[in-house]
Parts: sequence; C-alpha cells; structure tokens
Amino acid sequence: MKIELINRLIMSFTLFVVQVLILNHVHLLGVGTPLLYVYFAITFRRNFPKWLVLVWCFALGLLIDVFASTPGLAASVMTLVGLAQVYLVNLIAPRDSAEDLEVSIRSLGLAKFATMSALLTALYCMVFFALEEFNFFNVLMWLARTFVSTVLTMILILAIESVRSR
Amino acid sequence: MRNLLDFLYKYHHWLVFVLLEVVSVVLLFKYNSYHNSVWFSSANAVAGKAYELESKMTSYIAMAELNEQLTLRNIYQERQLDQLRRLYAEATKDTTAAEREELAFLSNYKLVPAKVVENSIHRAENLITIDKGRKDGVEPDMGVACGNGIVGVVYLVSDHYAVVISALNAASSRISCSIRNRGYFGYLHWYGGDPSVAYVEDVPRHAKFKLGEWMVTSGFSSIFPSGVLVGKIEQAYNSSDGLSYKLKVRLSTDFGNLRDVVVISDKSIAERAALMQAARDSISFKQRQ
Repeated sequence: MKIELINRLIMSFTLFVVQVLILNHVHLLGVGTPLLYVYFAITFRRNFPKWLVLVWCFALGLLIDVFASTPGLAASVMTLVGLAQVYLVNLIAPRDSAEDLEVSIRSLGLAKFATMSALLTALYCMVFFALEEFNFFNVLMWLARTFVSTVLTMILILAIESVRSR
Repeated sequence: MRNLLDFLYKYHHWLVFVLLEVVSVVLLFKYNSYHNSVWFSSANAVAGKAYELESKMTSYIAMAELNEQLTLRNIYQERQLDQLRRLYAEATKDTTAAEREELAFLSNYKLVPAKVVENSIHRAENLITIDKGRKDGVEPDMGVACGNGIVGVVYLVSDHYAVVISALNAASSRISCSIRNRGYFGYLHWYGGDPSVAYVEDVPRHAKFKLGEWMVTSGFSSIFPSGVLVGKIEQAYNSSDGLSYKLKVRLSTDFGNLRDVVVISDKSIAERAALMQAARDSISFKQRQ
C-alpha cells in the first residue's frame, strides 16, 4: 500500500509538471489542448478507497487550476471523473478478475482499456470545456474543442500506457 | 439510527464528492469577486516563481524578433518626435517648450517595467501573469502596455507578482479608446477566437473616419494615458441596434509573443477616482430627494 501511494504521488506530480509547463501551451488548430492529467484519474486500481480517489483527483485538479488561473474548473471536473472511474472499473472488469485489479493495457487488454479511458477522457473534456466557456457558449466551438482535445489526450494516454505495459 | 449510520458509512464517498464539488463550484463562480484571493491564482509566489523560471528558459527564443520590432518602433517614434518638436518650435518660436512639457507629462506617470511569466490567448477569458507586484508599486486597475500597444489591466496583486486581465478577455475587458486625431471614442471588446482581432463598440453614427486609421486609448478611463496604440481599423459594421458603429480592429499588440511590458501608474488616478465617486454620490443623493 505504501509503495503504491508513493508511486501514485510521483505520478500525479509528474503529470502536473508536464501539464503546466508543456501541455497547457499546446493549442492544436487553436482548439485542442491535451489534458493528460485525466490519465491519473483513469488508472486508479479497483477498490482503491473511494474517498481517497475523490480527494486526490480534486487536489491534482486544484493544483493545475492554480497554475492556469482557473480556480475550481479542473478541480470540479477531476472530482466528477474520479467518481465515474470508481464505478466504471467495476463495470468493465472481467467477472473473475482480482479485487484489486489494476487499470492498464496489461491487465484489461487494449480494447477494454481504450474504451474505458476514451469514455472518461471524453466526459472530462466535455464538461471541462462546457464550464470553461460558460458565459460564451458556442456549440460548434465546444464540440470542436472537446473532440480535438479528447483525441489528443487519448493518443498520449495510449502511447504512455503501451510503453508502461511492456 | 443504526440504519442511517450504515447508510452513511456505505455511501460516504458520495458525501465527499458533493462536498468537493461544492467547494470547487464556489471557487469557480466566486473567482471574479475574489479581489483578495491571490492564493488560488498564478499570482501566488510558488506558481509565479515556477513560471518565471520557465519564462527565463524560453525567452531567448523570442528575443530576436522582439528586438527587431522594438528597434523599428523606436526609429519610427524618434522621427515622429523630431518632426513634432520642429513643428512646435516653428509654431511657438520657443525651442525648449516641447521638451519641458514632455517631461511634465511623463512625470505624471510612473512606468514599472515587467516581464510576462505566464500568458494565454486561446481561452475565452485570458489572463496574464507578470513578475512585478505590490512591492514594486503595482496596484489593481493600473494599465499595462508593451512596445507595440495596450496589453490589459492589472487585476490581482501579490507582493511580487500580478495577474493582468488581458485585452483578450471576453468577459471582463473593456478598454476605452478613440480614433486617433478625431476624438470619437468607444469601448474595445474581444469576442474570443482570433487573438489579433477585436471590436470597438459604441462609436457614434456621425463619427468620421477612414479604414486603416489608428485606434488609440482615449485617456478617459484613467487607467491608460491617452494615445497608447490599440490597433488599426479594418472594417466598420452597424451595431445590432443600428444606433452606433462597431469597428473591427486589427490589434497592434502581438499577444502570442508577449515578453516585456510596462505597468503604467498614474498619480492622478486616485484623485480622479475620488472626484468621480463624489459626483456619483451627489447625483444619487439628488435623485433620492
């Protein structure tokens, strides 16, 4: 448990640094920003204490918010995705799998992992950009940003995951 | 009672969820009125320091182009100054008056040079963080400009950093500007999208101007002195109610490549603001009577 916590701490810090210093400056076609930190919420193992998932997601989101001057935005959506993840893992895990099943390509297979992360990433991007554009809602712009960002984020997640699963 | 406790125990993560969501939604919607909450923005010292380091690392890349722009502008302005000085001397037969007045004008303003440590242009509400704060004399509601034109207005200040509402902020940025040499004025408004185009609204119907003329700050708002460049008029439209013009302006500031800026602090702001407040108070007092 201790090693797992330290691992996740390192992971959240790395994702935070990468997001703030590099990925927040990427604007593909002026609409797409990879929101890679959602990878952190996706990869909590099955039956990880639920309250800790939520608090941790919230904290990482808030940290990123502070650096992007958008207080509450990433924090609220990360918390939501954290909650969705907790239930989605149970839905998607094979019936006879371990109680502390890891969420990775190695344990779930590419198809299931990709489906799960695509669902969560799309949920994240949808709500994130909807809240961000709250005052100036423009459906086309919102769809474009959601779509491009989801695709970018998924490419990054699958690339990282396939390297980690070797 | 026992059932209730069991229920709470079983679903305690939902309570945590609701609590966290409430906290973040409060942060999300209250931020605009959080004048003193420097902690949750990039004006706090830790975030500011991190961005400063990053910006130091990347600033050399943009230096060459920036230098070129500044040099060009410098030459242009030196020529203009020279010409104006000559004209003034011819008109008044007084060769030193222009310089004296210039100095008097400048002594009214204090300029604080600052570096942009964080900037965005692709959101609907863009904010800029600069590396000067209260200890350097920066206060909220001061204007920020760069060599090529306006940048924005200071919003939050910590000891060593400040957050500036960029002119590219669809929700909060309204900068009063006028057509150079003609005086008609309106408010600069940005609608999102292209970071080099904004619109000036409320320009009166009887205003005379040509496409390609320059918009400058009007000096009415006491945030900017008059005459700071805003951009070139590209097109004119009728406003939606048909009562005024809406001008499409190509901004002179390149927000995507912003490094050195100055914060303009006007000593007469406080005085003017106090006067304005007194006027408002007396009007509302009269209306109440």
